[in-house]
Amino acid sequence: MILKNLSKGDFRELKVVNGKRFLISLLSLLVFSLFFHVSVGAQENSDCLQCHENAEMCGDFGETKKARIDPETGDLEIVSMIVDQEAFATSIHGKDDFYCIDCHGDLEESEGMHNLNLKRVDCATFCHDDPAASYRDSNHVKLMKEKGFSPPTCKGCHIGLAFHQSTWGKERPMFVPYADGPEHRKMTINTCGNCHKEHLASYKNNFHGQVAALGVTTKEIPTCADCHGSHDILNSSNPDSQMGIKNRIEVCGKCHIGADEKFVMHIEHPRIKEIGFYKSLVSNLLSFKNFPEGLKKVGKDPNSYLMIVFVGYIGLLTMLFSKFGLHSLLTWFREIMDERKGKDKDHE
Amino acid sequence: MSDNTFYMRFSLFHRLGHFLTIISFFGLVLTGMPLVFKDAAWARWLYEVMGGYPTAGIIHRFCAVLTFLVAFVHFLWLSYNIGVKNKGNYLWGADSLIPNPKDLEDVLGDIKWFFGLGPRPRYGKWIYWEKIEYLSLMWGTIVMAVSGLILWYPVQAVKFVPGFLAQIIDLPSLALIVHRYEGILAAVFIFTIHFIHTHLLPDKVPVDEAMFTGRVTEHDLIHERGTQYDMLVKENKLHELKATPPSCMASFGCKLIGIPLLIIGLVVSALMIAGLLVLLI
Repeated sequence: MILKNLSKGDFRELKVVNGKRFLISLLSLLVFSLFFHVSVGAQENSDCLQCHENAEMCGDFGETKKARIDPETGDLEIVSMIVDQEAFATSIHGKDDFYCIDCHGDLEESEGMHNLNLKRVDCATFCHDDPAASYRDSNHVKLMKEKGFSPPTCKGCHIGLAFHQSTWGKERPMFVPYADGPEHRKMTINTCGNCHKEHLASYKNNFHGQVAALGVTTKEIPTCADCHGSHDILNSSNPDSQMGIKNRIEVCGKCHIGADEKFVMHIEHPRIKEIGFYKSLVSNLLSFKNFPEGLKKVGKDPNSYLMIVFVGYIGLLTMLFSKFGLHSLLTWFREIMDERKGKDKDHE
Repeated sequence: MSDNTFYMRFSLFHRLGHFLTIISFFGLVLTGMPLVFKDAAWARWLYEVMGGYPTAGIIHRFCAVLTFLVAFVHFLWLSYNIGVKNKGNYLWGADSLIPNPKDLEDVLGDIKWFFGLGPRPRYGKWIYWEKIEYLSLMWGTIVMAVSGLILWYPVQAVKFVPGFLAQIIDLPSLALIVHRYEGILAAVFIFTIHFIHTHLLPDKVPVDEAMFTGRVTEHDLIHERGTQYDMLVKENKLHELKATPPSCMASFGCKLIGIPLLIIGLVVSALMIAGLLVLLI
């Protein structure tokens, strides 16, 4: 949602200017293309696309594929340098008539072939300083730095933005999705889930996530950011966070009209399939003589009651099907035996 | 004892109820199970086939209402017969679906028969496993209806939770677990145990038409439900149940509808069992 405001609000002025520039560039391209085989100066998108749209052309000058090392994970990837103009035109930046050099600023003065290793695109300094600043100050970044992890950069979460770098970018380079687009929402689930693995698993096992896991990620199905927020995200135990007691009723009420204090007590990330939960449960139960607080904690945890029903059903399923399965098999076997006996008697 | 003498076993009312239950049950399973096994490729495919979001959900709710209506009409019929027509035999005795001492005898007799220690017991009108299936269907329908309604209207449902329990009882999550595992239980039970018991045993394969045409042959009646047959003869009621043989078309129709449904059910339950085993590993 913050992204949406940004992209629509901050770039309105740019859009008008770029719209005119685009028309002029189209006209000039038409005129110039009559006289020149290769136009001069890498300022227009068409200049870049002369090579980057055409695998053969790109191959003549350099390579259509390039090896790069992911700065966060350190993985070596082979990425495509081919740009799908149609896909770019439908993307958020492409629709606003951005130029390649608007982001790849270090190519502004270059002509023809260029240095193969470009600078990393800086989203924050000139354009997206607003969420970037609040993101840098967020609890998420602070906590990660404290614990010695390197926090994700813009492109770490907005994977589709890293045109040539993502798995998705490999297939459709330059395709930058909208914040509200189902594809982008699907990607953010997996991006959060890359680190928050247990939360992703419990999300997929519960109401909202089971539909999302089937591939439905339109705005009707909440993803991580819809409940927890995005750039200025706080830990859900913090009362000021989106999932804090103060804000929960409002956040849940966006979809569930009439949500009240009781409704927002819902456990969206049940721990009934976590091994850690059972380990702590057993240790709390075993040490209840020395540490009676532990037992109280178990009694107050809604997960305990979910676990009882869950384990009960697993037991019921196992018992029922082992018994009735055996019963069916034996009946089937005996009927065949009886039939045979009957036939033998007939022959006699 | 011949294959050409037929006796009425199920009235049109019960056959219609069973037919509507089949339709709604398949609708419920085919739109519900993809949500449980969302990580499997077949689940995504099936979900799309059933209309995806939100169509599959609408089909699920429509079928749920249909199931509930059938069960409601059944209970209405039952209470009318017991309360107004004073048919006490529906509650207890040979005609009742409530288990009685004879069933315990049959279970023990069956165990002897399984190990070749005795002949097959002569069952009554309702065999003990048919009673278990009937009672679990009734109980399951109530459980699924209550948990399903909580999931359908979560905001309204939590208002029924008393205040002091609201901190520790998460009603929608409980309802989801109950609805999911009761659903798996019902689907796998119907698609394997019920299918085997009624349709796939060597005597019946591929389709037992009794529930669709309402008629059983004299041979089946004596062979399967000897005690009931003896009672009907003794009470001189057998001729009242005598029926015309089912038409060729009706018999063909049973197989035309029954066999594909059997195959769908068996395939879906195979996929579900595989999915459950994958979860364990």
